[in-house]
Amino acid sequence: MTPLHEQFVAESRELVLQASDDLIALERDGFDTERIDRILRAFHTLKGSAGVVRLPAMSLTLHAAEDVMIAIQNAQLLAGSVVISEMLNSLDQVSQWVDTFESTEALPANAGEDARVIAERLRHHLSSKVESAAMTSAAGEFPEWASRLVQSLGGEASGLETSGSQSLFAILYEPHAGCFYDGDDPLRLLRKIPNLLKLQMAIPGPELALSDLDPFACRLRLEALAKGTRLELSTIFQSVPDQVRIVDVPPEAFPAGTQQSKERDNALVRAVVAEQREVLRVTDRSEIIAGSLGAAARAAAGALRHGLREDLAERVARAGAAAIADRNAAPLDAALGEALEQLTPGPRRNGPADPTSSPAGAKGSDTESPASRSLRVDESRIESLVNLAGELIVLKNSFGHLAKRIEDEKGSRDLIRAARHEYDGIERLAGDMQRAVLQLRMIPFAQVLRPLPRLVRDLSQRLGKKARLVTNGETTESDKTVVDRLFEPLLHLVRNALDHGIESPEERTAAGKDATATLTIEASRAGDRIIVDVIDDGRGIDPAVVRQKAIEKGLLTQETATALSDEKILEVIFSAGFSTAAEASDISGRGVGMDVVRTSIEQIGGRVTFDSHVGKGTRVRLDVPMNIATSRIMVVECAGQAFGIPMDHVVETVRLTPDRIREIKNNEGFVLRDRVVPICSLAELMNLPRAAGDRRESRLVMVADTGNKVAAVEIDAIRDRLDVVLKPMQGVLANAHGYAGTTLLGDGAVLLVVDLKEVLP
Amino acid sequence: MTVRRDNKGSIIIEGDCGAEDAETLLQMLLATPSVPVDWAGCGELHTAVVQVILAAKPKLMGTCGDPWLRPWVPAPARSSPD
Repeated sequence: MTPLHEQFVAESRELVLQASDDLIALERDGFDTERIDRILRAFHTLKGSAGVVRLPAMSLTLHAAEDVMIAIQNAQLLAGSVVISEMLNSLDQVSQWVDTFESTEALPANAGEDARVIAERLRHHLSSKVESAAMTSAAGEFPEWASRLVQSLGGEASGLETSGSQSLFAILYEPHAGCFYDGDDPLRLLRKIPNLLKLQMAIPGPELALSDLDPFACRLRLEALAKGTRLELSTIFQSVPDQVRIVDVPPEAFPAGTQQSKERDNALVRAVVAEQREVLRVTDRSEIIAGSLGAAARAAAGALRHGLREDLAERVARAGAAAIADRNAAPLDAALGEALEQLTPGPRRNGPADPTSSPAGAKGSDTESPASRSLRVDESRIESLVNLAGELIVLKNSFGHLAKRIEDEKGSRDLIRAARHEYDGIERLAGDMQRAVLQLRMIPFAQVLRPLPRLVRDLSQRLGKKARLVTNGETTESDKTVVDRLFEPLLHLVRNALDHGIESPEERTAAGKDATATLTIEASRAGDRIIVDVIDDGRGIDPAVVRQKAIEKGLLTQETATALSDEKILEVIFSAGFSTAAEASDISGRGVGMDVVRTSIEQIGGRVTFDSHVGKGTRVRLDVPMNIATSRIMVVECAGQAFGIPMDHVVETVRLTPDRIREIKNNEGFVLRDRVVPICSLAELMNLPRAAGDRRESRLVMVADTGNKVAAVEIDAIRDRLDVVLKPMQGVLANAHGYAGTTLLGDGAVLLVVDLKEVLP
Repeated sequence: MTVRRDNKGSIIIEGDCGAEDAETLLQMLLATPSVPVDWAGCGELHTAVVQVILAAKPKLMGTCGDPWLRPWVPAPARSSPD
């Protein structure tokens, strides 16, 4: 993959996302000039970059999409849901191609054909008024140029009978002007057609002085008739799907052809007239001139009539008669010249049949990307920086240890002070550096929200519900790992809300609610944590239903279920295998959703809570750390050993005087702010011999809150608070129970970090 | 060199011609627009060369030497002065 290709892949993905967002917003909010401009720019840029990496099929699709957007912009087409769906589908196809391109550096073999089908479907929405390429004609309609070509075979129609799988095709090939530079030789492609019946080459547009001809710019329009199979032909033109149009010639077209099509092909008429003029120039011998004059006049007049220029045809016919009478070609030549001038749409224009002359093509210069200035860096490079910064922190910690030793060994006062001073400096710098590096991995929450509007739109349409997605806090930044890991849970939550939470419009109206439900996703920052709320104003979760389901599914016994409070019973939703949906749909309700949500959020050190009110809605709150590259731990001592305790579970540390400790049955506990907190010894939890301390001495506990339980863990001493890079347990310890991981201490010792959630009884 | 002049100044196209020959041919035709072009000995012509011939419409001598192209290009100039 070259850097260019990498950039293309990254940029295309962004543009596809942005265009999808805007399309959905366009459908929701209606006509908005700015938004349409932005979509148009996205399509235009995508098309351009597809051209740069030479993916003609992709350009073809995007070109059609661009035409549709232009029609919407010009208010010739309404951006209804059918059109928007079609546009979104074409973007889906584009992003699939981008994926394929990323892995194989090429598009699938059938891409050209797919692109054509999509382009045709898109163009089908364009009204006939929209002037575009000859390709605009809807599928099934037999275009003018093709019928003309078939007719031109005239008497020599001998080879037309088709047999077996072979059918007759008309091919229109309008090579790009720059195709020679790309190494294309259009005729070489045509040479590959096994059964070529007819080939017409013309240079459309105004006649050009030879001195103005650029020999390296292709201006030819090639029309051909061929017998064969579509597959055969589309394989030949695989590399140029955007420049070639292959049309089936229906049997009824080839004796006389259909003259009904309203499309005029000026270019061809011009070519025919110009050709007659040329005939006059070469046939300058007096004996053949009379016949040539008559033939030329008839051919030119016929073409002009076909082009609906009756006036010019009349004039040419009269000039022809005069020329024959005078045996002089001059009057006819003049009339033909005049006709040519009249037919020419404007000076130096490529003619209406050139697809690149669409309005958007002219805008090329002002399509600078509005994206903010940013630098794309490979994720792995940032990863290695993060690791280095992590190592630096470890080293800093060991330097701190060293500084302490100097102090302990009673070195010179100056030396101690110097070491302390340097240590403070290193600590500050290492901290700054780590923050800066982590900042590199910070991405806005908006990224995870991007696919959701589309999801909400498609899902609510499928479910027959009306829902509006409101998002807040898109700019809240968080570590990329966290944002990435949030995506799947959010997906589940949104699906759940739409499928189970939000009622049908009728139900809502009956309940006195707005028929359109509101689904809100809010991200905010609270200290070093990110809070994401998913709020719907649907029917809420009925504890009675949950209770009954839990019993039915065998998750709870009748007694426990009845004993649990309404608040507690809702927790059951997080159990594996629980689903309130009466029937499992393909959207959600397979009974895995909430379970998955909780598991994946907990994996990144987060918590899931929710509250729900029947009839009013549900709020699910995800509370995750802003970054998970380093964790803050407390190094504690118990039974002569050091352990790390993640700080995110520690609420506070309390020194308890004996009088505060109560014996409750066999356990000890104490009252903390009107709440009884059980005390358990860390040494006991870790199966270490417990030092028989003096019961009259005060005892040190840290109060831990693991989300579902609160307990005081008794420890002997607190040694340190550290920022560490937590390494997961590896090798034989990989499955060890009760540990969150390990980290290296300043003195080189390995510290085990306890997972309180697992060890607390 | 597959596009050249003979000693009478006529332009001769011989053998296969690539895109770059189009420019040579064009320059020759611009210099002497009326000289005939002999393409009886030509091989496969690049589209660019064919385009120059279609645009300049020179007097052509002999039938096109490229048998595939022959049916689709101007017939040999019956009017070419010998």
